[in-house]
Amino acid sequence: MSSIVVDHASRWFRNVVALNDVSMTIGPGVTGLLGPNGAGKSTLIALMSGFLAPSSGSVTLDGEPLWRNEQVYRRLGLVPEREALFDHLTGRQFVVACGELHGLPDPGAAAQRAIATIEMTEAQDRSISTYSKGMRQRIKMASALVHDPAVLLLDEPFNGMDPRQRLHLMELLRTMGAEGRTVLFSSHILEEVEQVARHIEVVVAGRHAASGDFGAIRRLMTDRPNRFVIRSGSDRTLASVLLADASVRGVRLRPEGGLEVEASDFGRFSEVLPRLAREHAVRLHEVTPTDESLESVFSYLVSS
Amino acid sequence: MSSLSAPVHRTVVRLGVRSVFGRWRGVLLFALPVVLLALAVLVRVLVGQDRLAAESTLYGLGLVVITPLVALLATSGLLAPEIDDGSIAYLLATPVPRWQIVTSKLVVALGCVVAFAAVPMLVAGLVLRSDDPTLALGFGLGALAGGAAYCAVFAWLSVLTRHAIVIGLIYLLIWEGLLGGLLSGIRWLSIGRWSAELVDRIGGVFLVDDLPVAYAVVALVVVTALATWRTGVRLRAFNLTGDE
Amino acid sequence: MAEPQETPTGRPAGVIHDLGYRPYAGPRLGNREIAWSFFVTGLRNTFGLGRSGRSKVLPMTLFAMMLLPALILVGVLVQAKDVLGLDAQIVSYSTYPLTTQLLISVFVAAQAPALISRDLRFRSITLYLARPMPRTVYVLVRLASLAAATLVLIGLPLLLLYLGGLLADLPAGRETGRFLGGMVGAVLLALLLSCLSALVAALTVRRGLAVAGVIVVLLVSYTVVTTVQGIAVGTGHPRVGEVAGLFSPFTLVNGVQRALFDVPRATPTPPEGAAMGALYLAVVVLVVAGSVAALLARYRRVSP
Repeated sequence: MSSIVVDHASRWFRNVVALNDVSMTIGPGVTGLLGPNGAGKSTLIALMSGFLAPSSGSVTLDGEPLWRNEQVYRRLGLVPEREALFDHLTGRQFVVACGELHGLPDPGAAAQRAIATIEMTEAQDRSISTYSKGMRQRIKMASALVHDPAVLLLDEPFNGMDPRQRLHLMELLRTMGAEGRTVLFSSHILEEVEQVARHIEVVVAGRHAASGDFGAIRRLMTDRPNRFVIRSGSDRTLASVLLADASVRGVRLRPEGGLEVEASDFGRFSEVLPRLAREHAVRLHEVTPTDESLESVFSYLVSS
Repeated sequence: MSSLSAPVHRTVVRLGVRSVFGRWRGVLLFALPVVLLALAVLVRVLVGQDRLAAESTLYGLGLVVITPLVALLATSGLLAPEIDDGSIAYLLATPVPRWQIVTSKLVVALGCVVAFAAVPMLVAGLVLRSDDPTLALGFGLGALAGGAAYCAVFAWLSVLTRHAIVIGLIYLLIWEGLLGGLLSGIRWLSIGRWSAELVDRIGGVFLVDDLPVAYAVVALVVVTALATWRTGVRLRAFNLTGDE
Repeated sequence: MAEPQETPTGRPAGVIHDLGYRPYAGPRLGNREIAWSFFVTGLRNTFGLGRSGRSKVLPMTLFAMMLLPALILVGVLVQAKDVLGLDAQIVSYSTYPLTTQLLISVFVAAQAPALISRDLRFRSITLYLARPMPRTVYVLVRLASLAAATLVLIGLPLLLLYLGGLLADLPAGRETGRFLGGMVGAVLLALLLSCLSALVAALTVRRGLAVAGVIVVLLVSYTVVTTVQGIAVGTGHPRVGEVAGLFSPFTLVNGVQRALFDVPRATPTPPEGAAMGALYLAVVVLVVAGSVAALLARYRRVSP
C-alpha cells in the first residue's frame, strides 16, 4: 500500500503558474484527476512521476522524494500521454526490454503476464509501427505493468479509445484498484472518471478545486443556481406560475421574448417545469441551460 | 541481465544499436567512410604513395570532416529523436542509473565512430601509404580519440537543447573550421587540433605546431569525461511534461 | 431563432440554428497574388522576420558575419588604397563567396529545413494543398523563397564591395562589369545551393537530420574537391582537378564564372578551354533541373 503525498506544491515556468499551492494525498484504490484542458493535470502527473521538480513544496512517495530518485521507479509505473514509442520493435520486444530495464529476474515471463493482462497476446509479435492508437495505448500499459508496481500513473489514458477499449481499460483499472494498488489517471471527461474512480481530485487553472468521492462532487456541482432560457407559447403565464414554485429563485422576461429562469434545485425544477406547463396549457418551445459547460462548473467550484 | 553497477546496460545498448540506423541517418553514416575510401583509392591511383597527398586527404577530409560528422550523426541519432518525441520516458522511468544510460548510448556512438571513422581512416591510410603503417595507425587512433570526445560533447548538447545538431555544426564549422583556420590560438580549445597532435606524435607528421602532446591527451580525456558526467547529471534532473 | 418542428410522431425533428455565419463572398485575389505573397512570406521567414525572436538569431548572425569581412575589405581599400597600391578589389567578386562558403553552407543548412521540412514533418502541408494554390506552385515558390534569401545573403556583401570600390575611385565601368559578373555567379550559386538543400530537406523530414544532411553534402563535396584539386595540380594532372571541380556547387559556379568572364582564379584547377567551360555550364543547368524535378516528384508522393 503506497501513497503519494503532494504537499503545497507549486510549479511555475517563468511567469506562467502551472500549479498553484496544490496539496493532496493519493492513496490505494483508483483516483481520478479531473480538470479542463490546460488546468495543470499533466504538470501534476509529471511532478508525481519524478519528471518535474516542484518550484516550491514537495511531492513524495511513501516519504521518499520523487525528483532525482531512480529507485522509486521500482514501485512506480507510468503510462505517458505522448504517442511515440520504439516503433522498430515488436510489442513483445518492447515490453521485454522494459522488464530488462527494471532489472526483473525473468523479463520474458513478466512481459507475457503483462501482455496477457492487457489482452494483446495475439498482436504481440507485430511491429509497433503497425499498431492502432488503442493498441499503442495498451502496450504502453503493459510496459508500465511489467514490474508489478504498487503505484500506477496514467496521463489521459482514454484519449482516442473506442468504446469497447474504454470499457476494457476501465475494468482493468478497477481490478488494479481492487488489488490495493494506487492508481491515478487524468481526464477531462466527467463520465469517464465517474465510472471508474472512487475518489476524485479536481484541478482547475492550476488550483486544487475539489476533492472527494464522486457523489459529493456531483452534489456540489448541482447545488448551485442553474440558469435556463425558456421560450414558450405564453411567457407571462409561465413566469407567474414558475415563481410560485420553491425551486425557482428568479424569473426575468427577456425583451426579445422568452424567459430567463434561475433555479436553485435543478432536480426539482426539471420535474416541475413540464408539469406546470401542461397544467396551465403553456406550450414549451425551447428549454436551454445557459451555464452547463464543464468550465462553468469548474469555475463555480473554484470560486466557492 | 545487467547489474546496476555494470558500466553499461545491455538493453540500452541493444535499443541504441537498433535505433541509430533509422532512415537516412544510416545512409549518411555509411556514405561518409565510402567517400573517404573512394578518395583514397583515387589519390593512390593518381599519384602513387605521395606523403603530402596522403596527409591532406587523411587530415583535411578524414580527421576534420568525416570523423566529427560521424560522431555528430551517431550521437544525436541516439539521444535527440527520443528526447524530441518523448520516448526517452521509457528509459528514464526505470531504476537504471542515469550515468549508465549515458555510457550505454555513448558506447553505441563510439562503436559507430570505430566502424565508420577510425577503421576506415586506418584502411585509407594503408591504401594511401602502404609503406608507412604508422601513419595509418596514427590517423586511426587520432580519429578514435577525437571521435570519442566529439561524441561526449554532442551527447551533452543533445540533452541540453533541442537545437543540438545546429549548435554542434556551428561549433565544427565556425569555431574549429573558420576561426581555427584564421586564429592559431584556437588550437588550445579545439578537439580537432588535439586529435591532430595525437596523430603527429604517433604517425610522425606535422599537422599542428606548438601544442604539447601531454596537453592534447589530457584535454581529450578531460573533455570526454566531463561531458559524459554532465550529461548524466542533466538526465537525472530531466524535465519531461506530458504536453509539449 | 429557428423553431423546432414536430413530426407526426410528436418528437421534434433536427434543426439548424441561424447564428449569423456568412461565408466570405467578397472579391478574392488571383493565383498570382497568392503565389507572390507566399513567396514574400517565405523570404521573410528565412531571415526570421515575421516569426519569433529566437528564429532571427541564427540567420541574422550569419548575415552579419557575411557582411563583416566585406566591410573590412572596403575599409582597407578606401583608406589604404594608395599606400598599398591597390587598383582592384582585394578579394574579387567571384572569390568572396568561395571564401565565406562555410557561412553560406551553415545558412542554407539551417534555413532549408525550416522552410521545407517543417511543413512536411508536422503535416501542415495538407493545409496548403487544400487551398487553391497548386502543388507544383507551392514547391516552386518555396524553392524561390529559399533561393532569393540565399541570393540576398551572397549578393549583399558583393554590393557592399562594389559601392566601396566606387567610393575608392576604382574605374567605374570595369567595376560595374565585374560586379555584374559576380552577381551572375551569385544567382547561379544561390540557385544551386537552394535546389540541393531543398531536395535533401524534403527527403529527410526530421529537422536535425536535414541540417546534418545538407552540411554533409556541401561540406564533404567541397573538401573532397579541394583535396583532389590540390593533389591534381601538384602532380601534373590538371584535367582531373577540372573534372573534380564539377562536384561541389562552389567550385562549379566559380568555374562557370572563370569560363564566362575570365575572373581571377580561386581554385587550383579552374576549367581551361571552351569545352570544359561549356561542360561546367551544362552541369549547372542539369543539376538545377534535375533537383527541381526530383523535388516535384517527391512532393507528388505527399498525400493530404
